[in-house]
Amino acid sequence: MPENTTAPTRAMRLGVAGPVGTGKSSLIATLCRALSGELRLGVITNDIYTDEDARYLKSAGVLDPERIRPVETGACPHTAIRDDVTANLLAAEDLEADFGSLDLVIIESGGDNLTATFSPALVDAQLFVLDVAGGGDVVRKGGPGIARADLLVINKTDLGPYVGVDVERMAREGREARRGGSVVALSRHDEESIRMLTGWVRDTLARYRAGDHTPVDPGPMAPHSHADRDGKGGHTHTHADSATHTHDQAPAHAGPSA
Amino acid sequence: MSTTSSLLLALLGDARLPSGGHTQSAGLEPALRAGTPSAQAPAYLRARLRTVTRVEAGAAVVARAVAADDGDLAEVEAAWAARTPSQALRANGRRLGRGYLRVLQTLWPGPVDTRARTWSRPVVLGLLAHRAGMGPADLARLVGYDDVQTVTAALLKLEPQDPLLIAAWVKDLLPDIDEMATQVAHLHTTEQIPAQGAPLIERWAETHDTTTERLFSA
Repeated sequence: MPENTTAPTRAMRLGVAGPVGTGKSSLIATLCRALSGELRLGVITNDIYTDEDARYLKSAGVLDPERIRPVETGACPHTAIRDDVTANLLAAEDLEADFGSLDLVIIESGGDNLTATFSPALVDAQLFVLDVAGGGDVVRKGGPGIARADLLVINKTDLGPYVGVDVERMAREGREARRGGSVVALSRHDEESIRMLTGWVRDTLARYRAGDHTPVDPGPMAPHSHADRDGKGGHTHTHADSATHTHDQAPAHAGPSA
Repeated sequence: MSTTSSLLLALLGDARLPSGGHTQSAGLEPALRAGTPSAQAPAYLRARLRTVTRVEAGAAVVARAVAADDGDLAEVEAAWAARTPSQALRANGRRLGRGYLRVLQTLWPGPVDTRARTWSRPVVLGLLAHRAGMGPADLARLVGYDDVQTVTAALLKLEPQDPLLIAAWVKDLLPDIDEMATQVAHLHTTEQIPAQGAPLIERWAETHDTTTERLFSA
């Protein structure tokens, strides 16, 4: 087999974004529990007011506490994953330098809002976490993370019956918002859903190592807006790569450039 | 193509420069926790400009001169470290140096000493100023101005108040920054780097280093 000279030498960096309380830390604990036997892991947290997330993960006992590093963001969690990634980037470099080579560094954003996504300057891939308890309608509100993160996770599916949310419908609407992009409906009590999540991570890591994975920037906000909201007739627009095409339905998002 | 030193000062002094500055409070967070009233922030900044910030600016100016003469910047780094008794402040200064090294290598690419990854902010800034063509007085102003803006921006997060009032504080401190810059702009050799300390600021930095619930890393 020919050597792949474009294959990266450092660990893959996986961002975990999503609103506060959707279960990002818990999801990372689940990943560590499932993958620490086969992958060399490191975790960076971006708490806003405390080091709560780092302490939670350390106390969960799923990873050597030394491999979990909190990074202060100066009350700007948004900035730390997009406009100025310096502190997180240095922390990721330090983790790899301190533990030799790692396979995967997971970076948890400070819980922010629907518009906060990672810049490819920091991560190679990212997942965006919503939860059913936040309401089935959140997925229809769209936004860059929901629409264009590498993976959308709809978390806490076991709570669906208690909060009156149709989980299957929420996952379906998630796929629609993502035009068929990957969605995992997750519950930490559902082993099959955990296997889907870890399978996605393994696949992405394999493609990253083979040099077949291209980091995608979901963007800080929806890239364009459309006056035609009646769903009929579709619309035509131009992407940054100059490809023009027509959608057969009105998108669920609106941008600033009307 | 070259540009003016004053435009470089604007570029490098802009809070939007992605060098990691938003994680910093220049010691304000522990100072407030220790009981310093926020109204004393201007006095706190004047104290810094006469002590730790002056050392920082002096080290940067000397690093620029040494880089221009193709000298050994490790000697400037050692001189800066000898004048920065707090281990926490040295570690933070070196983290900031790595942030500016990213700026240097992307904006003004070129060969860099392999030890540069361990150098502090003033040393890397001195090297950057030399390569970018920024004058020594503007370099010293940059260090002073960045310190003032770091403290006041952090104040808006730690004890929120009218941002225009805080901008007025910055404006009132501009002559103090100029005065500090004038005092260090002519320095050339490591032994000329000022050695003023600020024991309280250094002690607070040590305390902050082991504090868990904090907004800013230093």
